[in-house]
Parts: sequence; structure tokens; C-alpha cells
Amino acid sequence: MLKTFKVNIAALALGLLTTLPAWSADEIVIGASLPMSGPLSGFGFYTKWGYEAAVADLNKAGGLEIDGRKLPVRLIVRDDKTDPNVTASNTETLIARDGAVAMLGSCTPPLSNAGALVAERRKVPLVTACNPLMSFKAVRKWRYAWDIFFHEEDLAAASFHMMADYKLATNKKIAILAENAPDGQMIGGTVWPAMAKADGYEVVMNDSFPIDAQQFGTMINRAKLGGADLVLVMAIPPQAIAIRKQMASAGYTPKLLVMEKGAEPEMFQRALDKLAEGVLVGGYWDPSLPYPGASELAKRFEADTKQTQSQHIADSYTAAHVLLDAIAAANSTDREKINAAIAKTDKTYVIGPVKFDADHTSRIPMMVMQWQKGKAVVVWPKDRATGQLQFPLPQQAD
Amino acid sequence: MSSLDLWAGSLLSGLLLGAMLSLTALGLSITLGVMRLVNLAHGEMLIAGAYLSFYLLQYAGVAPLPGLPLVALVLALLAWPVYRWLVTPLQGKGPEASMMTMFGVSIILQSLFLLVFSADSRSVDSPLAVVPFSLGAISIPKIYLVGAAISVALVLAMHMLVAHTSFGRALRAASIDPVAAAVQGVDVRRVHALTFGLGAACAGVAGVLIGSAFSFTPSAGATYLLVSFAVVLLGGVGNIYGTLWAGLLIGVLQSVGGLLLGDGYRDLVGLLVFLIALSLKPASIVAEGASR
Repeated sequence: MLKTFKVNIAALALGLLTTLPAWSADEIVIGASLPMSGPLSGFGFYTKWGYEAAVADLNKAGGLEIDGRKLPVRLIVRDDKTDPNVTASNTETLIARDGAVAMLGSCTPPLSNAGALVAERRKVPLVTACNPLMSFKAVRKWRYAWDIFFHEEDLAAASFHMMADYKLATNKKIAILAENAPDGQMIGGTVWPAMAKADGYEVVMNDSFPIDAQQFGTMINRAKLGGADLVLVMAIPPQAIAIRKQMASAGYTPKLLVMEKGAEPEMFQRALDKLAEGVLVGGYWDPSLPYPGASELAKRFEADTKQTQSQHIADSYTAAHVLLDAIAAANSTDREKINAAIAKTDKTYVIGPVKFDADHTSRIPMMVMQWQKGKAVVVWPKDRATGQLQFPLPQQAD
Repeated sequence: MSSLDLWAGSLLSGLLLGAMLSLTALGLSITLGVMRLVNLAHGEMLIAGAYLSFYLLQYAGVAPLPGLPLVALVLALLAWPVYRWLVTPLQGKGPEASMMTMFGVSIILQSLFLLVFSADSRSVDSPLAVVPFSLGAISIPKIYLVGAAISVALVLAMHMLVAHTSFGRALRAASIDPVAAAVQGVDVRRVHALTFGLGAACAGVAGVLIGSAFSFTPSAGATYLLVSFAVVLLGGVGNIYGTLWAGLLIGVLQSVGGLLLGDGYRDLVGLLVFLIALSLKPASIVAEGASR
């Protein structure tokens, strides 16, 4: 009886220990819920690396100085499995159980906003990237969440500006295929059609699909039927890969193919090989940009992972640095003080200049990138181009 | 290309894709029909086939179609320990125990895929998947045509196996009344092991075709499991020809859904059919069973 009682007490103690905050006074805990599995895991991989690299740099330099004490920073990352509900519960756990004083955001609007809403409710500062600004601002008037990324209008406009700058000869007919996630609805449903109208293009097809769709034959045939020379796609990588394959198998090669979001990670090129050639995607960072540490960051990532760099390493690395700088500037782990310090950010990071506006957003200018011989090269704006635009999209050999 | 061509092309694609869907459902149907086993890891077996083909091509240069027999064999062999150590001990303990076990296997396999292959989206590099087959103004992916031919051939071969061989007789006997079959000298456990292996092999082959035509991730199996359930239920549990017709029907209905409502609503149509079939024949998933 006594033995059973002791075992129960021990089990209870163990249970309590595992539910107590992981935080201790000798370190500063920051948390992040990221898509390490599921359809968005490609983004999660880069984002995690960027966050961890920034924290590692800081710890290597001795940590953060708070009240004269150098404290190491511990980043706790939880997998949200590409599910906004899990992002929300992870954020809750990271704050309540792990004792995170501040948060770094997830990737894409559904996930990033889900975590930001929890942080907002708990009055915990959260710095995110990988969340287009219109989608971020549309959620609410933020007090504790901050976003460093591109604006949807800039992304949507980049391809149109590029076509105008290069005077590309097309029949001015556009087909739009966009996922029905918030950023897809925003860009595919609103911004692209408006840009097309303003620039004298005709939208011959505009259709949307859920983010787990795999069959796009009807949409592609409609675009082909409409004779669209330009196809604009907004989709995550699994869908972008499937769409590109199905376009080829439908015998449809438009003159210009833009695949926002999905064509960005290297897995897109690896999965499609030659079919990726010539595909355009909006970009916001390249190691060639004249910002401090840009080329070194890319080299470091490639040495660490043996994979080609992605622009997401830069925005995530920057988001983490902005948060760490703010904690240092606040000289405190008080969340209100950290939040106030984030608001005062005005510095050039690896991604470029970061300064937040009244909506808590800091805008990254857009470029257009193109897959050429297995590498993503900058093709617009001309003054930042690292390669020549390949036009039209190569025909697929039978 | 006219609107008529668009409709004709979409319906033909739906028909061919439907044939492939029947193959994705075939393994699920026979394990359910013969063993009364709701194999919730069927989708992961399909994805395992896709990964195997992907790596066979990458590291051994084995193209997806010539590699199909190897993928089928490996999947069948991998299924054996699952059957022997996880399914066999639960026989006679009701359908829930084995169903939950297979649910656990599904989660474990997803995690293993994630651990070993990473979470990246993949696609089996098959030239057939990016080359159109043209019929006048209609273009359909060649992989649909080849995949449908392979699927129909395998469904027919399965029917021949079940209807015209001694193993098929034993399988039918075991599916109708395992106790009576055992009394008559049928080695029911062996029949079940082979059925489970056959189911896994079919899933593996379907995975290669699906992985070539589309893309896949470690967690993509769930989508195909759901559609497979719809096909099995519509065609009748264990009914091999029924699986083929149901696959074709769902493929065509998905295409009609895509044409009328947009590609994003293809699965909605399939799932609606599933729910209607379930409401009309709620007991069929456990009551039917004879493989025919």
C-alpha cells in the first residue's frame, strides 16, 4: 500500500515537473511554432534555420545583456504540422508552459496569423516574416505582432512591371490560378485582376482551389482554351509542382509562367528538374544584394545544409535579429518594454532596411526571379539582375 | 480547342484517372472484404510505393514503369511483418482493435517518412507524366492513359486470381466464413497474409502511378485513403469489378465537379458520393465481404 502510494507520489511529481515552464532565470526563452511537416514544411525548414542561426550568433557572442548580466537565449521550436490550430496551441504552450518572453512567427498567413492572434491575446511580442503584409494587416489592428515581409501589391505588380520594362510581346491574355488561402484570395482574386485591367490585359480565366488539391486539368484546359499567353499561379509547392507537370502533360506552354510562393523553395526545382526551367517567381532577397552579411549568410546556409540557399533564410534571420535587438535595447524581459523597443527598430539588416509603420509592418521591395539551369537568378529589376530573362518559357520536348 | 473539346478532354481524363482510383482502392477492398480489416494505413502504403519508386529511379536508375513489379514485391514483403506481428494477434478481437492498430501504423509510417525522406514535396520523374497524348484537339496526360491501362489490367488479373485459381477459392471461402473454411482445410492465416500482401502491393503500384502523375508528401496518404473508401463503398466491399466501376464513376463525377464548380471542388464531389453511399448502405462496410 505504502509502496503504491510512493509510486503515485513519484509519478505525480514527475508529471508536475514535465508541465512546469522550461524557463529558468539563467536564460531567455523565445519560442517559434513552425511548419516542420505537412505541405508547408519546405518553408519551415528555411525559417527554422534562419531563427536558429541568429540565436546561435548571439549566444556565440555571449548572449543578451540584461541588467548587467549576460544571459544565453534558448529558442524552442515546435512543429505546427502546417495546421493553424496547432500553431495556435503551440503558441499557447510556448508562452504558458515554456515561458517564452517573446515569439517568432510561423510562415504563410494562415499559420503566422493564427500564432500572432494568440500572442496578441497573451500580450506577448511576436516578430514574424513570411506573412505578406496585406494579409497580416487585414486580420486586426495589431499591438504586439510585427511583420517584416513584402506587400501583396508589390508582388503582384512585379511581373507586370517586368513585362513593361522588357516590352515582352504577348497577346495580353492572362489566366489566373490561385489557392483559396488568404494571400491567394488577395492576390489572385483582387490584386492581379486589378493590375491586369490597369495595364490593358484581359483575364480569360480566374479560378481558385483549396490548398490540398492535386488535379488541375480542367483549369489548365480552360486557360489553354482561352489562349492565355501569361499564366499567373499562386500556390504552395505541392500544388505548384502538380500544376507545372499537368500543364506540360496537357501540351500547354504559355509564353510566361509565374508561380508565386510554390516555385520559391529549392524542392520545386528538385521535383521538376527541367520543367522548372524558365518559371518565374517573385523574390525579395538574393545574396548579391548590398546588405550586411548577405552573401556570407547564403554561404553559411549552404555549408551547413548542403542545400541551395533560399530567400526565407534572410527574412527569418532578420526577424530573429530584430527581436533579439529589441530585447537588448529594452534591457529587460518585460514584454511591454520589448514590444516598445521593437516599435523603435530602424536599422539595416541582412534583408535590407527595417522600420515599422503604424500598421506594425516593414516592407521589403520585390524582385522577379527565374529558374535557370537549376538556380534561381534575379531577372528584374534590371539594376539588380544577376541573369538575363529567359523569354518565352521553353517548349517541353516530347 | 472548343468548349466541347474541354468537356470531352475532362471527361476522358476523369475516366482514365478513375481507373487509377480503382487500383488505389483495390487493396483496401480486398483486405476489407476478406479479412474484415479496415486498413487505415492503406494511404501510407501507397505513399511508400511512391517513395520507393522515387529512390529507385534516383539511386538505381530504375524507371517507374519497369520498376512496378519490384515495388509491388517490396511492399508485399514489408507488409508481412505488419500482418504477422500486429494484425494476427488481434484476430477474433473485433474490427475496432485491428482498425486502431492500423491507424497507429499509419501515424508511425507518416513519421518515418518524415524522418527518413524529409517533408519535401516530391514527384516521381516519369517522362509520361509531362507528355500529352493528343486526340484531335483533346490533350490528356500520357501517364493517365498508361496508368489506366495498368490499373484495369491489374483489376482484371485480381479478378482472375480470385475467380479461377485454388488460392482464389480459398480466399473466397475465407471471406465468407473463416471458421468453416478452416474446418475444410483452408489455411486461413496464410490466405489472410497473402491478401494483406496483395493489398499492399496494389497500393504500392498505385502509389507509383499517383506519384508520377501528381506530387506527394509524407502526409499525402490520407487524401487517397478517403477517396479509396468512397470507391470501395460505392463498388461494394470486396467486389473487384465493383471497385473498377466505382473508380470510373468517381473519376468521371470528379471531372464533372471540376467542370461545373472548378477543379478545387473535385474532391467535394467524391466525398459527397461517399456520404450518400454511406447513408444508403450504412452497414455495407462490415456486412458485405465476399470477394468476387
